[in-house]
Amino acid sequence: MKSIRKVPTGGCHDCGGRCPYTLHVEEGRVKRMEPHSTLRACVRGYAARQEAYSQDRLQQPLKRVGARGKGEFTTIGWDEALDIVALEMKRVKDQYGSDATLLLESGGRPGAAGPRIAVLFGKFGGCLISWGGPSAEGYVWASRATYGSLVTGNSRDDLVNSRMIMMWGWNPVDTIFSTGTSYQLVRAKEAGARIIGIDPRFTSSLAVFADQWIPIRPGTDTAMLTSMAYVLIEENLHDMAFLNKYTVGFEEYKNYVMGEGDSVPKTPEWAERITGTPAQAIRSLAREYARTKPAALITGYSAGRTASGEQFHRAAATLACMTGNVGISGGSSGGFENVLGLATLLGGNTTVGSRVHEAPGRLSLAGTLDSNLRNKTRVHWAKIWDAVLEGKAGGYPGDIKLLYVVGANPLNQCLDTNKGVEALRKLEFVVVHEQFMTPTARFADIVLPVSQHWATDSVMRPWYAGDYYVYGNKAIDSLPGTKSDYEISCELAARLGITGFPEKSPEEWQRDLVRTEPEMRRDIQDFDKFKKAGIWNIRVERPAISLRKQIEDPDANPFPTPSGKIEIFSSKIAELNSPDIPAVPKYIEDEPNMPDKYPLRLISFHHRVRAHSCFDNVNWLRRLEPQRVWINKDDARRRAIKDGELVQIFNERGVVRIPAKVTERIMPGVVAIGEGGWYRPDGQGVDEGGCVNVLIESRHSPGGAFVSNCNYVEVKGGL
Amino acid sequence: MQLGFFFDQTRCSGCEACVLACKQWHSEDEDAVDYITVIEQEKGSYPDVQVKWLFLPCFHCADPPCIKVCPAEAIAKRAEDGLVTVDRGKCLGKLECGALCQKACPYGAPRFREQPSAKMEKCDGCPDRLEQGKDPICVASCPLFALAFGPTTERETRSGVTREVDGFRYRNGVGPSITFKPKR
Repeated sequence: MKSIRKVPTGGCHDCGGRCPYTLHVEEGRVKRMEPHSTLRACVRGYAARQEAYSQDRLQQPLKRVGARGKGEFTTIGWDEALDIVALEMKRVKDQYGSDATLLLESGGRPGAAGPRIAVLFGKFGGCLISWGGPSAEGYVWASRATYGSLVTGNSRDDLVNSRMIMMWGWNPVDTIFSTGTSYQLVRAKEAGARIIGIDPRFTSSLAVFADQWIPIRPGTDTAMLTSMAYVLIEENLHDMAFLNKYTVGFEEYKNYVMGEGDSVPKTPEWAERITGTPAQAIRSLAREYARTKPAALITGYSAGRTASGEQFHRAAATLACMTGNVGISGGSSGGFENVLGLATLLGGNTTVGSRVHEAPGRLSLAGTLDSNLRNKTRVHWAKIWDAVLEGKAGGYPGDIKLLYVVGANPLNQCLDTNKGVEALRKLEFVVVHEQFMTPTARFADIVLPVSQHWATDSVMRPWYAGDYYVYGNKAIDSLPGTKSDYEISCELAARLGITGFPEKSPEEWQRDLVRTEPEMRRDIQDFDKFKKAGIWNIRVERPAISLRKQIEDPDANPFPTPSGKIEIFSSKIAELNSPDIPAVPKYIEDEPNMPDKYPLRLISFHHRVRAHSCFDNVNWLRRLEPQRVWINKDDARRRAIKDGELVQIFNERGVVRIPAKVTERIMPGVVAIGEGGWYRPDGQGVDEGGCVNVLIESRHSPGGAFVSNCNYVEVKGGL
Repeated sequence: MQLGFFFDQTRCSGCEACVLACKQWHSEDEDAVDYITVIEQEKGSYPDVQVKWLFLPCFHCADPPCIKVCPAEAIAKRAEDGLVTVDRGKCLGKLECGALCQKACPYGAPRFREQPSAKMEKCDGCPDRLEQGKDPICVASCPLFALAFGPTTERETRSGVTREVDGFRYRNGVGPSITFKPKR
């Protein structure tokens, strides 16, 4: 009998879960995966082996031979490939300066060992970098302004103490932030909490947890929250004692809500016209929220990925204050964020070493709410293609000639894919580190094949509320022909004449990380025990309530805002003096483009069989749920579209052709495509892979959120 | 003793972790078949919609119809725990016998891959794991703890536990070994 080695490790991609599990390894090959007893993985984790051993894995460096984007490559040796990359890096720097290289590094591979390419660029004299990811920017901006902090959440096991939970655009069954969160909702539901889902889609999360579904038009959530505030004020249901003691600016907010400045009282009837949600349902929800205590208003990020997305999160926080649910067990600050004492994302990336890799002489941007300031020095992820196409003349911080992509798939995941194609063709040189021939890799001049994370030691942590760390023990050797991002960095350093580039074993890097990173140093007392077990549980008093101190003893514990209180009126925002970002939360209407031609609102959601664009090439997962566009039965009937039929979804930016999922689970007038389907244009440029970003305009909100959920399309069947 | 499943339908989110956990435990092949099917049932009309899911592995029936029709006597029921097993060495293959077991099973548990010579395979109840005192992999993988596995008699007397749910009929004379907490 062959011997089986059991390796405790975890994680699969850049997902908020970071599930621990044990791999069964036989003769150097992963055979099986045993889940953790309670922190259980999802379908993506169980398919990770199929991805790791996929026959599509790249195992030799590739050099482009045809036109860029045609996907015609020849294989070359590592030395030749690295020589070319180093030569191009030097050429572009010498010819155009540091600002001509844009580095896009993202989390496509979890817990990479040691300092990566960013540190290399730091030592190479810097480069242009990005800001504003496609994720939580609206929330982050709002939380900084309102609470002065991102540590505002309660631990997940506190959900069981809520008597009412509002799941506002929050779909934890499919979008996993801290493994095990959904099970805490099971506990809450079975303990009798009333659960209400506010969402344009009847998601799987709502199907299993919600007692009531309140559909809402995408991008109008702030209007509904504002009218709920109206109901509370009109019926005197708001907690004036809380507002007086802990907040500033309620009077200004009240004036806006009641319409004293603009003569528009923000009544539920006003909101009904905007949101499509019946006024009566809004009134009932507001009353129920005010009268049921404690109640948790939990917001996902999707409603914040809108034209004024930060206003949504500001309005949600304000409503949580009006009902006195902040800083108490069973309540919620209106977000669902980093939790005091648990593993957060605040301690920096799980990458050791300096991340100072910008060109020298840049302004400090730490904590600023001013997006214009950020845009002067960095490129927002939503505007990458605009920056490449327009350069300094268009107001961007550099004339970009070289694009260096690591652990990312920007052509697919940034907005306006066809604009991306045009931009990628304009560049002088494109380098991509990849495991697969992704849509972005197709546009590379050099593709460097990288190893998979099971082939190296790493430390991982779940996002925001995880009460554990994962030690990703090396389980297998790298596939022949592949190198880790770290190995590539070291070999490039030698070619670029960079000395002192740190060379340590992956295990030594993890040891350093655990010793130096503030949260890990606080939490992990015994590295060897951590490595051996593959998991380290954080011991904190449970449940953990982030803002409890500020609420219980506000004089001794002011909020880290200019006023020391929760800022419904934010003085920092007021200083920016911009009508797009009012100092109290307001609903700002986003004008649709050509509503007659493109009458359907498009939303882009996290798909359950992918982690962003990772896993789209794994057949085991594709077979579970192929890429489809969700469309309501009425909208489908009007267009004579049948369930499963191939349809075209289109607007002025592009065309996507995928099958339709005709369902009652989506609001009429709204269509939805899961993000991450790989862009696969046919001869006419019609995308057959279902990449939703083909249809999405490249813009960000004033606070820096991707505007993913405010676009309009038409759908056509009978192809 | 008869081992069987318990499925808490009120907890199932249709995530199919059980399907892939099972699949990776039993095979590495790209063309491997799923031993578990999760069926989605959408009911009602907007906005009063309900979605339920049904978990369909092999139910290791009390009196399995698959055993009766197999011309090669490749299917057997274990005396000690009632698990229904297949001896793939004896199985004649899909084309040769005409997949009689699959046709006889009211729940579609026997599966075949695409090739005409494919031998029958199905949920085996994870005897390797049971021997080690572990739950079958599907049960051990469910993020919402909606599944359990054990002697069926212990559960049938509990209140709120049923032998049928929408879309699943308990057939006398077959006796599928599963009980449910149904979603209303």
